[in-house]
Amino acid sequence: MHVDDLTLPALVGGRVAVALATDLYQQLKYNHQLASPLTSYLNLQEGVFLFKNGVDPYFGGVFRHSPLFLALFTTLIPTSRTICSLLWTLSDAVGAWALVQIWRARQRAPQTSRDGLVAAAYLLNPYLFLPTFALSTCTFENTLTLLSVMFAAQGSVSPALLSAALLLQLSLSSILLTAPLILLLANSTGPVSQLASPHAFASNGRKVLPLVAEYVAYVAILSLASTLVSGSWAWIPQTWGANITLPDLTPNVGVWWYFFTEMFDHFRPFFLMVFSVHLLIYVAPVCIKFQYDPLYAAFVLQGVLGTFKAYPTMADIGLFLSMFAVFPELFTYLRHPIVTIFLHLHAALLMPLFHHLWLSQGTANANFFYATTLVFACANGAALTDCVWAGMRIAIGQPQDGYSVVQE
Amino acid sequence: MATSLRDPSTLFFQSEAIRRLIISSYWVVLIAALPLWWHTTSIERLSLPTSRVNAQADRQLRLPISIGLEDASLVGPLQRELDSRGQRWKGLDVTVAGAAANASYIVVNADNAALLGERRLQFPLRRATIPLLADALSDLLVPRLNSHRIAHYAPRYRLAFTLLNEDAVEGDAISSWDISTAITHQLSPLLDALSVLHNFTIESQVQFHAPLAFSPQPMSDGSVGLTPEDLTVFVNSAEWTLSSSVSNDPVLHFLVFVPSSSHRPMHILDAHGVPTTAESFLLPQWGGIVIYNPPNTERGVRPLSHDALSSILPQFSNQLLSLLGVAKLPPGIPSTSPLTEWQLDALLRRRAFENTLEATETLQSIVRLVDQIDNMPVGQDVRGDVLSALSSLDHIHIHSKTASALPLPLSLSLNTTLHHSATALTLASRAFFNPGMLALLYFPTEHKFAVYMPLFASAVIPLLATVIREVAAWRKQRREAAVAVAAAAQ
Amino acid sequence: MCCRRLAFWACLPLAVLGLSETFHEQLHIRSLPDGKVASRFSFSTILAGAHPPSPHNRSLDDDPQHYTLFPLGLGQILREYAVTEMHLTLNAGKWSYDRWGYPEEDGVGTGAELWAWMADGADATVDQRWLGLRNALAGLFCASLGSLDELRTTSPGFVFAPGALPDWPFPHAIRHASLPSEHVCTENLTPFLKLLPCKSSSGLASLLNPHRLFEADWHGMGLHVSWLPEEGVQVRLTFQTVSDPLRPSNKRDWSFGSLFDRTIQRSCPVASSSEIAVALPFRVPYTISPEPSLVDSGLAIFDVSQMEKPLDVSLHWPQGFQYSTSALAEAPLSIRRTLKGYTQDNGELSVLIKNDQDRSVDVAYLETMPWIVQFYLHTLILQIDGVTRPELLRNITYTPPVPHSRATMFQVIVQIPPRSTLKLSMDITKAFLRYTEHPPDAQRGWDLPPAVFVPLDSEPQRRIYAPTLLVDLATPDFSMPYNVIIFTCSLIAFIFGSIFNYLTRRFVVLQVPS
Repeated sequence: MHVDDLTLPALVGGRVAVALATDLYQQLKYNHQLASPLTSYLNLQEGVFLFKNGVDPYFGGVFRHSPLFLALFTTLIPTSRTICSLLWTLSDAVGAWALVQIWRARQRAPQTSRDGLVAAAYLLNPYLFLPTFALSTCTFENTLTLLSVMFAAQGSVSPALLSAALLLQLSLSSILLTAPLILLLANSTGPVSQLASPHAFASNGRKVLPLVAEYVAYVAILSLASTLVSGSWAWIPQTWGANITLPDLTPNVGVWWYFFTEMFDHFRPFFLMVFSVHLLIYVAPVCIKFQYDPLYAAFVLQGVLGTFKAYPTMADIGLFLSMFAVFPELFTYLRHPIVTIFLHLHAALLMPLFHHLWLSQGTANANFFYATTLVFACANGAALTDCVWAGMRIAIGQPQDGYSVVQE
Repeated sequence: MATSLRDPSTLFFQSEAIRRLIISSYWVVLIAALPLWWHTTSIERLSLPTSRVNAQADRQLRLPISIGLEDASLVGPLQRELDSRGQRWKGLDVTVAGAAANASYIVVNADNAALLGERRLQFPLRRATIPLLADALSDLLVPRLNSHRIAHYAPRYRLAFTLLNEDAVEGDAISSWDISTAITHQLSPLLDALSVLHNFTIESQVQFHAPLAFSPQPMSDGSVGLTPEDLTVFVNSAEWTLSSSVSNDPVLHFLVFVPSSSHRPMHILDAHGVPTTAESFLLPQWGGIVIYNPPNTERGVRPLSHDALSSILPQFSNQLLSLLGVAKLPPGIPSTSPLTEWQLDALLRRRAFENTLEATETLQSIVRLVDQIDNMPVGQDVRGDVLSALSSLDHIHIHSKTASALPLPLSLSLNTTLHHSATALTLASRAFFNPGMLALLYFPTEHKFAVYMPLFASAVIPLLATVIREVAAWRKQRREAAVAVAAAAQ
Repeated sequence: MCCRRLAFWACLPLAVLGLSETFHEQLHIRSLPDGKVASRFSFSTILAGAHPPSPHNRSLDDDPQHYTLFPLGLGQILREYAVTEMHLTLNAGKWSYDRWGYPEEDGVGTGAELWAWMADGADATVDQRWLGLRNALAGLFCASLGSLDELRTTSPGFVFAPGALPDWPFPHAIRHASLPSEHVCTENLTPFLKLLPCKSSSGLASLLNPHRLFEADWHGMGLHVSWLPEEGVQVRLTFQTVSDPLRPSNKRDWSFGSLFDRTIQRSCPVASSSEIAVALPFRVPYTISPEPSLVDSGLAIFDVSQMEKPLDVSLHWPQGFQYSTSALAEAPLSIRRTLKGYTQDNGELSVLIKNDQDRSVDVAYLETMPWIVQFYLHTLILQIDGVTRPELLRNITYTPPVPHSRATMFQVIVQIPPRSTLKLSMDITKAFLRYTEHPPDAQRGWDLPPAVFVPLDSEPQRRIYAPTLLVDLATPDFSMPYNVIIFTCSLIAFIFGSIFNYLTRRFVVLQVPS
């Protein structure tokens, strides 16, 4: 038995032990960096309670999760704290396993020496395990993202599209990842790294259309199921509509909340439209530029999501940072990784501090926390732009003395 | 080159086609979002029919009047006499004809005295009395009125009757009055006759403590007097609960004021301080007040006596007629009923002219206002009201043209004209005072720049620069290709 | 024309010939155990035989309204908006049920409270008429009742049950709204007095001296319109006040001069009955002057029209005042409501209900909150002495709030065992408002409406009001709108532009001299 074979089970075991032994949830339940109004466990419990007592949870109020969660937590899984902690840890474990499978598919090897490192990059990332301890449902979103990418990398069409459709039910912004996923499924060269040898998209368009149709069919079926569970179409404006209309201005790690707190009423619909279109505008260029390596395009778009989404949490950008482990070929070509790391350190340490000073202690004001979210966005932007640069720079070749590669 | 680095121009993603595809994909999304920008920031500002509104100013309403004389020989002199008073007949086309059957007004010969009937005047018809006849007809058909006294036109008036005790005490108070039967008997015929012009809502109340805001002048014989200056401040709006807050209709107040025992009897003085016999006075555009001094023999808490009511109601009806603009008959021409057709017709004509003029002016004001203030939204309801008002004005002019051709009965024709003019005025006022037009009046352009520039200037500049460079490069490429083709052809 | 005559005779709106109006006024004074004096003025006008205005008759605008004693302005409002029953109260201060017992008039919630039962109408909906009613009353009373909009309006039909509703084919609906931060002052008293037939010149209303009334420990005015099936439409204007005679002198003695600085000079000529009822002290020597007209079951009744004027009733205790510290709570239920938590994003709502009786009591507890405070119903815990007792919770009715538009209505029925204290606690989160939604004094906080408790076995239905709460919400920096727009937009544009440049620019290999 290779020692790396044991790394994943050992880490999972460790996480399960921590989950069962401690009750970190009580300290973390109100933390706005780890859970947004769309993913908070408190809101989930409230919705399940109202649903069980005959009140329509989408008639108003705080519940903004998908009706599939209602179905899950009222019929299959009771909402006891221990079972939920185990469930969340299990979801993290599945996500880590999926990441390892993606790595293996990219290396085209059933087992490599770096599997353990990849699993550790996912399970030991504080941006990822803290939201899991806070029982924030963004863990499920990450797991589903990784599962859909894994199935697409392995070539299984239906499981990939089904998990992508499930992911869309949980989070509307994940529609950005549909395009690279479909390209990955239709790609004939598979997930193997082609970054060093860019070429045109090696497949004909005829494979793409049936994939899109199948995805749309899955989405329609799941939406219908959600409507049946919740009893009406009211869940659509409450869950998906929240990403577009931003009804809840609770602070989070993104750039939307303070902007729309201070925005004038006349311009509010316009800027909501601009920010939503801004998310969509990245899909086509990134997919066109990296059409030879759709897995890399999915990676870049995950970074875009984590930075510019409506209700982001730490977990969204945590997934992006953990997926760096799958692309070790980039490391040589990153131009400013130290800056990115320090910016992240700065933001990650100061955000909880200023949040506490503002809301609990009352000695700071909203600008302090807003400034740290700006630094966080800078850090994410730095990581994103570095990836885009490095992904293209690989194609040119190893760095050489006496020559420098720049853009004009 | 002597290096293991690849030539970047050979890379797949660096080809011109891919670059242009990426740039155009950015631009496609941007351009597709432009209608959304328009939709989310535009103010609803529908277009108003400005030219039609301005054209209304040039239109004059002309109403026809035809007078039939029993004596055909006097038609010419009477016509000349009436035409010489041209200014007074402004807006009216008066024609005098012989004893034709379809004249609106008929003048027959009377032996000695003049008498007024239903659109019929009995007047001594002689050549010498033609100027007098012309004067009488002018006073009957276009009476001169003090326009400051008349209440502004509204389709519905509220008539508020109030019985005010200045100071009711246990031993001496007038606690109620049978006003509803009194109104039914004495006022309702008048209100029904006026119903073509206005609808009336009636309400009444009794107040038991209505102090005056000033002290009336004591007179030598123990009574008190109200000087003309006191009359102007008589209504103590602060203490007397008179006005209502529910609907927008104007209110005409009719007060019966019962002075307190220390202020009885209360007389109205003339300019020299001499008590007059008048018991009532009119407040222009507001209402009328009757001062009732109860006789000393009455005591206790009692209702207002029927005799008192029957003497008060005629004063109210006179005041109501004055406030509504019904003219008094010229002296020397008695009539049998309190409100004759002549007076009603004159009022209808007067109101029709006023309403048309005011509706036209209001529409022009709206159009000017909307032109001047760029930020003012114009909703569907405002535009609808303006269009409906214009069509009502059109109806008036069409109707007045055809009415002279067709032999319509005068009352129907005037009613229709007035109805259209009232509709036009109401709609124009409603459009002008529409509260939806007030939004966004104060958002200056500089602030809009400050909001748009940070994102769009910074984001769109690289896009624009790239497009410009691409277009320049493409043009250069075309020129070079053309030169190469030309060189190869040689 | 004759049809209108017919309609005039046939249709009966509020007032028609032959309807008689009667006006009664009453003043009730009682001494409270802690030395204060509670007075309640009640002026009621009854329109005999009248029926409430039906919303389907509203289009018959020509029908006349004739009143003698009934206030015309109010009659117009009731007819215009077809209101069957309406209650408006404007109170200032906190009514202490523990020391003062139950008030004579139930509505003692701080600030303005308006609730009305209206029938479903043909042309105008209940909500449209509610809007018109609020604005009309705001104009009538010079109070900012127009801001009782849909952010504060709920429909708690069980707790605010109507008196009697006419038997019509279309159902009635209730609208209730509360504005706890409304201040009451002379501007509100003056129009109130103008609704009375005798105004403040004669009768009991002449005692209403704003200088003394508004420095009392608690004061409140109320307007109650209801339909009594046997009698007709009744308009009742009430004024309650709790004055403190111990403050200026250390004696409990009071008189009209000391309480109101006024005496009754004249009686109202149109009042059918005008009486003063003084609750006489129990088992303590006292003197009351002048001699009452009659003494009946502990009440000294004065008939104002018969008494000699100027009338100044006074009550005098020869012995000094002894504040009793062992006095039981005057009311059998004692309620305390607090908002716990020191952060600006979450907290806990905690209600303590103490039952002093020997039998268990079922209580309905109603909360109508604006959307800024969000309840988490799954954290609702009932405890007695630290032991969780979920079986005491009977049923829950809940209307969840909609951010920026609808208020919460939360109603539970709980059972409290004898001689015990029930603690209800529930987690809440506080909302983050938009820049334009904060009031000008944003740092002060928001007033939350009082909660209403109804003991289900009390006959007639009593409502107990808990005091209002103040919630402190997080505020953004109000000086920064353009700064925020510029910072965020610049950052987004920078990242966008960088990625665009990377994706569209060409790579070149440069030789760098070593």
